[in-house]
Amino acid sequence: MWYDLLTSVFRGLVNTVLLLALAPLCEGIVRKLTARIQSRQGPPIRQAYYDILKLLGKEDIEVGESPVFQRLAAALGLASVLCIAWLIPMGVGIPFSGGDVILLVYLLALGAVVGVLAGIASGTTYSMLGVSREVMMLITLEPLLIIALLVAAVNGGSMRLEPVFSGVVFGDVTFSYAGLIMLLMVLAAFQAYVKRVPFDIAEAETEIMEGALMEYSGPKLALFKYAQMCRLVVYSGVFVALFVPWGNELMFPLGWLLFWLKVAVLVVLVTVLAASHARYRIDQAVRYFLVMVAVSFGALVLAALGY
Amino acid sequence: MLNPENAVMWAMLVCIVTAVIMPLFNRSKRVSGWLAFAAAAISACLVFVAAVYVLMNGGGEPISFLKSRALGFALRLHVDGLSAVFLLLTAFVSICSAFYSIEYLGHYERHGPARYYSWLLLFIAALYGIVSTTDTMYFFFIFWQLMTVAGFALMRYENEKRANRRAAAKFFWMMQLACFVTMVGAFLLAPSGIVVEQGEELMRFDFVSLQSNMPALFSESPGVITAAFVLFLIGFGIKMGMWPLGGIWLPDAHPAAPSPVSALLSGVMIKTGVYGVMRYFLWLVPAESLSDFHSGAWGLVIALIGTVTLLLGTAKALGQEQTKRLLAYHSIGQIGYILLGFGICLSLVSNPAAGARQVALLGLFAALFHTINHGVFKSLLFLNAGSLLYVTDTQDLNKMGGLMRYMPVSGVTALVGACSISGIPLFNGFASKWGLYSAGFQAAPWSAYLPLCAAVAVFTSALTLASFVKFFGASFMSRAGRHVIESVSEGSRKVLDWKMKVAQVLPALVCVLLGIFPVVVFSRFHYALGRDAQGMLLSLTDGAPVEGGLWRGVEALGAKAVFAPIGLLVVLGALVLFCCWLLRAGGAQRRPASPWLCGYAWDAEDFRYNAHGYYGELKALFKCKGNTRLNRESDDMYALGSETDTAARGRAGVVAEKTETD
Repeated sequence: MWYDLLTSVFRGLVNTVLLLALAPLCEGIVRKLTARIQSRQGPPIRQAYYDILKLLGKEDIEVGESPVFQRLAAALGLASVLCIAWLIPMGVGIPFSGGDVILLVYLLALGAVVGVLAGIASGTTYSMLGVSREVMMLITLEPLLIIALLVAAVNGGSMRLEPVFSGVVFGDVTFSYAGLIMLLMVLAAFQAYVKRVPFDIAEAETEIMEGALMEYSGPKLALFKYAQMCRLVVYSGVFVALFVPWGNELMFPLGWLLFWLKVAVLVVLVTVLAASHARYRIDQAVRYFLVMVAVSFGALVLAALGY
Repeated sequence: MLNPENAVMWAMLVCIVTAVIMPLFNRSKRVSGWLAFAAAAISACLVFVAAVYVLMNGGGEPISFLKSRALGFALRLHVDGLSAVFLLLTAFVSICSAFYSIEYLGHYERHGPARYYSWLLLFIAALYGIVSTTDTMYFFFIFWQLMTVAGFALMRYENEKRANRRAAAKFFWMMQLACFVTMVGAFLLAPSGIVVEQGEELMRFDFVSLQSNMPALFSESPGVITAAFVLFLIGFGIKMGMWPLGGIWLPDAHPAAPSPVSALLSGVMIKTGVYGVMRYFLWLVPAESLSDFHSGAWGLVIALIGTVTLLLGTAKALGQEQTKRLLAYHSIGQIGYILLGFGICLSLVSNPAAGARQVALLGLFAALFHTINHGVFKSLLFLNAGSLLYVTDTQDLNKMGGLMRYMPVSGVTALVGACSISGIPLFNGFASKWGLYSAGFQAAPWSAYLPLCAAVAVFTSALTLASFVKFFGASFMSRAGRHVIESVSEGSRKVLDWKMKVAQVLPALVCVLLGIFPVVVFSRFHYALGRDAQGMLLSLTDGAPVEGGLWRGVEALGAKAVFAPIGLLVVLGALVLFCCWLLRAGGAQRRPASPWLCGYAWDAEDFRYNAHGYYGELKALFKCKGNTRLNRESDDMYALGSETDTAARGRAGVVAEKTETD
């Protein structure tokens, strides 16, 4: 029992530290690559690390009716994203065995909700606009992800994370078309999960100036930004674990390297898409996602029927 | 000896006697408030002891009071596992509600306290009675009518407002219809003579008599049984706010009543409909006629109605801009969850596969757990709405904002309530929804439609979250509007009394505790319902669907779904502490400042983002803009004598909409 506990704490710490260490690197790659695609020089790849360090020491200008609440929101926002690293296999096994797909999805949503509440607490019109948009995206995106996970759960007959993240989404014995449909759906919505163009509608720097984060500065902004960087890695991790888990069971450094390689490929893919597209409007996006939700309801029925 | 049935009887007597002498104390609001609270507390303690005894040791034998053979009439009480769950909920909510009322009633300047407290105590007594009587005709009628008349009187407490009178009338007539329909159902099933069971002569309309008549009816005229169950579903459906008939009275009734009564209405009264459906559908059919009862088809119907109810109720709530009206629509939505869980149970209950029956039991437990949870967090939210009304004199979310600073206790407890209802992990709503989703998705091998219903429920859960982001954000967060600044300015400011604060903190604590220790609830359900298993439930009790422990948390259906709240709490807590350290690690100075007002020099009502502006695109897509006429008018309908500035509100709304669709 103690051995199990120690293993899971060790794995969790490894995942957390790696997530914290590598998320800014991914962000750096994204920025550099975006710049090159758009024929710009771009910042150095290390820039994201510098940004966070600098912001952590900057003056914290507190705007809003409930400063304590806002500080807590900033901390909880990052913590909930880090907590996901305890629930998904990031090259090493799943650290925390006390959760299933429902908990995973709700924790993913929690990160977004905390950001939303922080935005409302600051109370300016632009941040409220961002919040309203963010929640509308959340409503339509959360079901997509949970249905993708549940197709795997229905195929494998268990909602625990280990069986779900074993490639069972494409069928246990026979091939599952539902899994294929959900792969397409989640891939099509992936930019929205990681809040990049064309679905960065809630932040929309050029339009509503970062939306919910507009009034935040200093360490709180650093934490929100950090959470956003981690989100890219974490969602890539969930995607990799659910749809392309092959190779995870390889020997320690191999499986682990393979995982991060897959994440890196996904990051590059996200960047290329983001750099070459324009932003959707919120009504277009919501309509687009609701169609996808309807399709994925169909996929879930297919999975329950055994296809 | 004080057995559970006697305790409930005493509890009712205490309430009724105090209600009768209440008019003597009409002079002082304080005295009558404390007296009513004392009565409610004594009866709640009696009921609490009874219910806990039954949950720990199983129910005993029914006891008859007021027996009169000539009239075919007896008050036969029986507290079994199912009754105990509902009694416990009633006792808890009634204490909070009565305690909150003491101070809250002070702001009704034109109305005396006796009219309120008498009816409140009668209402509570009726609630105790209806979930513990086994008489399906006379005493069912008496308790139901007592509940209806008391509810009617409480909704009309502020009878100078036309909206309240109309809401109360609507409630009254819908309840009469529900009562009539349910009694006709019982009449159809009743045997022609007196039934003798275990040496006791039973009345014609006793639940057990109905039960013993079922096998004969099944062979003679099964159509009558179907008709009776349809009538039960309609009758109790009206009471609980089930689609399509429940939506007629419920959204008007909750805002009309004083807030502590709204808490009781939504937290407990509509649950008596849930109790009725569970009792009649699961307990009435005896084990030997299970094969004649098409439980699969009934389950399908109830699960589908539940799904429609939860989706429509929540979608309509999205468009509401009045605090209590918004909460009322969510009551409909959450009842849908309970119905869905019960539908899952019923559709798999007679399945030959043991795995399916486990899923059915999990569905039932989730539905019951959600009943408790909804009772707790919804009464909490109604008390929060009451505090908002008390301080700001309005139910209009558009006029609120920034109240966290002025009423932090209400703010934090409202956040707990909002997190609970939207199913954030570590709060109680998550634990019951987790059970519900697990049951729904694990039902996939036996029926393809149940996972779909559960997926709709997940989607609706996101809608609920959105709605409560609006509720909490527009009232406690965001920027204070002109109205708030006026009502909290020195001199006229109303401060929440400690009694009101305690009444809000208590349910919030229960929300958190139930969210962290769901294993206790699931294991008690299994024990208590297993002890008193009858009829259909007998086929369910072959094993616990949920196992676990303090550290392991809850594991459903042979550990196919797990949730370990304490482990999660430790991990998340450690990470939050780390992040808090990170916040301070750079040694950054903090400086308060005012927000950037989009280039305007002054803060003004016209460009404040109010509740009306939220989710414009989504509301347009769902065609649920809310009843705009009502949203505007209700200023006058519900406000407590405050001046209205509909024009300014309208302007602000238009500005917000313009900004958004740009």
